[in-house]
Amino acid sequence: MTVMQSGGGRGPSPTGLADVIETILDKGMVIDAYVRVSLVGIEVLTIDARVVIASVDTYLRFAEAVNRLDISQEKQGLPGLVGDMQEGGAKHKTKGMLDAATDKLREFGDSGRERQGARRGRREED
Amino acid sequence: MPASTQEKSGPDTGQQTGVYVYGIVPGDVKLHSGVHGVGDPPGEIRLVRSGDLAALVSDVDITRPLGTPGDLQAHQEILDATVADAPVLPSRFGAVLTSEEAVAAELLDANHDEFAAALRQLEGRAQYIVRGRYAEQVILEEILSENSRAARLRDRIRGADPDATRELRIQLGEILNNTVANKRQADTRLLVSAMKDRCAASVVRTATSEMDAVYVAFLIDADQAGELERVVADLSDRWRGRVELQVRGPMAPYDFVGNGG
Repeated sequence: MTVMQSGGGRGPSPTGLADVIETILDKGMVIDAYVRVSLVGIEVLTIDARVVIASVDTYLRFAEAVNRLDISQEKQGLPGLVGDMQEGGAKHKTKGMLDAATDKLREFGDSGRERQGARRGRREED
Repeated sequence: MPASTQEKSGPDTGQQTGVYVYGIVPGDVKLHSGVHGVGDPPGEIRLVRSGDLAALVSDVDITRPLGTPGDLQAHQEILDATVADAPVLPSRFGAVLTSEEAVAAELLDANHDEFAAALRQLEGRAQYIVRGRYAEQVILEEILSENSRAARLRDRIRGADPDATRELRIQLGEILNNTVANKRQADTRLLVSAMKDRCAASVVRTATSEMDAVYVAFLIDADQAGELERVVADLSDRWRGRVELQVRGPMAPYDFVGNGG
């Protein structure tokens, strides 16, 4: 299934915190490069950048995913319920650590708030 | 000249409040009142104007760390809401200056020409992020059907003791991981080339999930947003069941502002 969250010109779509972090983390203009004298060194809580680093754990997870895939194929002859359960179980278990972290972060987000930013002055509305 | 209603920087070093800078906008923007930004309690958003430029700012208590979920969302929401009406140069999260005077003189005035030129380039444009994720089962089956070595390794680990076949599993996993990475590159090339004449610029973002298929930021003219929708719809058809595509935007051009290096 394809999910189109938003199209053109319809305003920002609501996003979870994980999306927010990924979108703005380490992005944007570094003010330090423009202002040196009056910069305030405020503490910014560390946010872990979630970058894919291939490791043995990654490989083992992939192998396990394939192993489970195979089992669910073999059991296709069994009653549907059993097959479905195994498939569902496999899907759940092979869910990557990153996705799990994303879900956790998402719980914080979705506050449903909407903010309004600056508007061009040409329109005299308020 | 900035309105100096909130003179905060004194000669003493015990400054408690700083001016958080969200981004830089043309001087003719107007603000909705009562919009609050980062910090606890969150400060009200205001503009520091100087000539034809302005900075979106709010006061922030500098004795507390920034970076709560609310702070991050406020930063992005304010910038994204702005881009619907005016070009904006987004600051990286966490930029705080000592005073409004510093924002006007040291930031806006001192870098006027560069900022004004960048804002002209961004006029009428916004960023969109296209992200696609592979359906795990589908992509793994695809790889097994294409790669006989992977299929043979799969046969050897099937039903075997995981400890005894650890090396084989690592070999298989490495093949799968590398093959997914190659597919990601190829699928990303396909998306970027389909958008080539339909965007002002594009940036391929670093994958943050092993199942990322495409992750690209595009800078798009407002009148070309429909083209993006069409390209994404075409690719969705082509990749049906294999890649789940998502579009986010319009948003501030986070991936397209220089780092002033």
